[in-house]
Amino acid sequence: MLHNNKVIILGIESSCDDTSAAVIENGVIRSNVIASQKVHEQYGGVVPELASRAHQHNVVPVVDVALKQASIDASQLTAIAFTRGPGLLGSLLVGTSFAKGLSLSLDIPMIDVNHLQGHVLAHYIKESDDDNDKPRFPHLCLLVSGGNSQIIVVRNHLDMEVIGQTIDDAAGEAFDKCGKVMGLPYPAGPVIDRLAKEGNPDAIELSKPKIEGLNYSFSGLKTSFLYHLRDQLKLNPNYIEENKANLCASLQKTIVDVLVGKLVRAAKETGINEITLSGGVSANSGLRGEIERQAAKRGWRIFLPPLRYTTDNAAMIAITGYYKYLNHEFATHDMVPFARMVINEKT
Amino acid sequence: MAKILCIETSTEVCSVAVTENGHVCTYLEDLGGQSHSTLLTVFIDKLATNGHEISSFDAVAISEGPGSYTGLRIGTSVAKGLCFGAGIKLISISPLAAMASHVANHAEKYGLDLIQTDLLVPMIDARRMEVYTSVFDKELNTITPVEALVIDESSFESLADNSRLILFGNGANKCKPVLISSSFVYIDDIYTSAQHMAILAQQLYNKSIFADVAYFEPFYLKEFIATVPKNKVL
Repeated sequence: MLHNNKVIILGIESSCDDTSAAVIENGVIRSNVIASQKVHEQYGGVVPELASRAHQHNVVPVVDVALKQASIDASQLTAIAFTRGPGLLGSLLVGTSFAKGLSLSLDIPMIDVNHLQGHVLAHYIKESDDDNDKPRFPHLCLLVSGGNSQIIVVRNHLDMEVIGQTIDDAAGEAFDKCGKVMGLPYPAGPVIDRLAKEGNPDAIELSKPKIEGLNYSFSGLKTSFLYHLRDQLKLNPNYIEENKANLCASLQKTIVDVLVGKLVRAAKETGINEITLSGGVSANSGLRGEIERQAAKRGWRIFLPPLRYTTDNAAMIAITGYYKYLNHEFATHDMVPFARMVINEKT
Repeated sequence: MAKILCIETSTEVCSVAVTENGHVCTYLEDLGGQSHSTLLTVFIDKLATNGHEISSFDAVAISEGPGSYTGLRIGTSVAKGLCFGAGIKLISISPLAAMASHVANHAEKYGLDLIQTDLLVPMIDARRMEVYTSVFDKELNTITPVEALVIDESSFESLADNSRLILFGNGANKCKPVLISSSFVYIDDIYTSAQHMAILAQQLYNKSIFADVAYFEPFYLKEFIATVPKNKVL
């Protein structure tokens, strides 16, 4: 199968509320198209049934545009990579089923991709043929999103081990939920990041979780934030309005300190100084800044993802598909998507 | 003359048929339920051999619903992948019309001698006493459009005065204890099957009535209503 040295992978991502398709040729990005779903904003969160319907509406146009932007005809594709999980089942079913149908009609193999592994491997997407400055193995990846907060030892493209993870809420969830109680629009993460720049990060002291080892916990922090607001609102009904920037800055600093604190510890324990950051929360400027600060202090070589690869995107699915293709790891037609999946899960 | 791959996933039945000129050449189906995601493309892959390769088809016909949201989602997505990749047409067919078409064309098989006033009433179970149904005459003209109907003693009252109503499909069984007058005739063991789509698929193909591969959405029938959570934490 590898006699032809041009490997062109179409990636399809539909795990949550973004429909995305991307083309990667021998590891180099050719296109990455994302259709975001605006329909969920009015509900303050993703409505699964509406997400599934929007994917159904978007999947063909998004794939079509991705192929056209890459100047690739569907008949030139080597394989199709699709997100198998984790994510919303109805959403995953659309991408998975479409990939299966497309694989049959083009008579090419398909590759199932773990969305989390995709986030980790986003760092290996090459922007051009000579874009070769990529993280070396082993490296440590801090993967932070709305659904996950993990520290992962990445031994090679396909061999990863989670050495620390949240035992309850994800960091992104903490941002969104705390934002929601402050009355911020969904998703609150980017709004908090913006407001935090105008506030004093030491204005409010929030309780930090005390969890053994490299694991995280964010539910206590969320409760502490909620109680703080409740107590202050009794004294001053305008407390949130008057202190929004300080609240955001303090909340963000606390979450970032917790995230990076365990990362520093993981680097010490494993002796790994090659550090990458992935996932939706990796767009947070506070987190990026703190990792840069620690890198300068500790001599880490760090990789912060371009913002376009921080949110859900098919480029990361295609690059993972590319490495699985090289390793002859293919999907079968009886494979079903999984709402819950962990990294390196063998199914 | 057209070769059409028919896909039916609107109920618990997962069914695929290779049809040519309105006739079923070969088919695979599973009546077990909850297995479309596992079985559908496995079936298609098995059928798409021996001269039935996907590129040999003129169109893919899918059951448009109403029915199971998940089933329709899987069938539609697979069909879009097939049509987009092979550059062939998409045809959408009502599973109710397909079942009615089967009965109208094979009445003798069920011991029926259809007369002009007979009405065909295909039904898909929609849980409790509700069915998705639509009434057709024996020429398959629509008498009442697709609706979600809660069955009680008065259902079809006005139609039953002058016609014999022939009820079938997986929603018909639960009507038996309720719709008991001699106007109601039941046919057992008719279920949504890709085989029943063959004739309608060919007719739509002949008339060039196609669905849009990019923007086709299943016929969900019921409006989906999302609500904004009301619980306030502060």
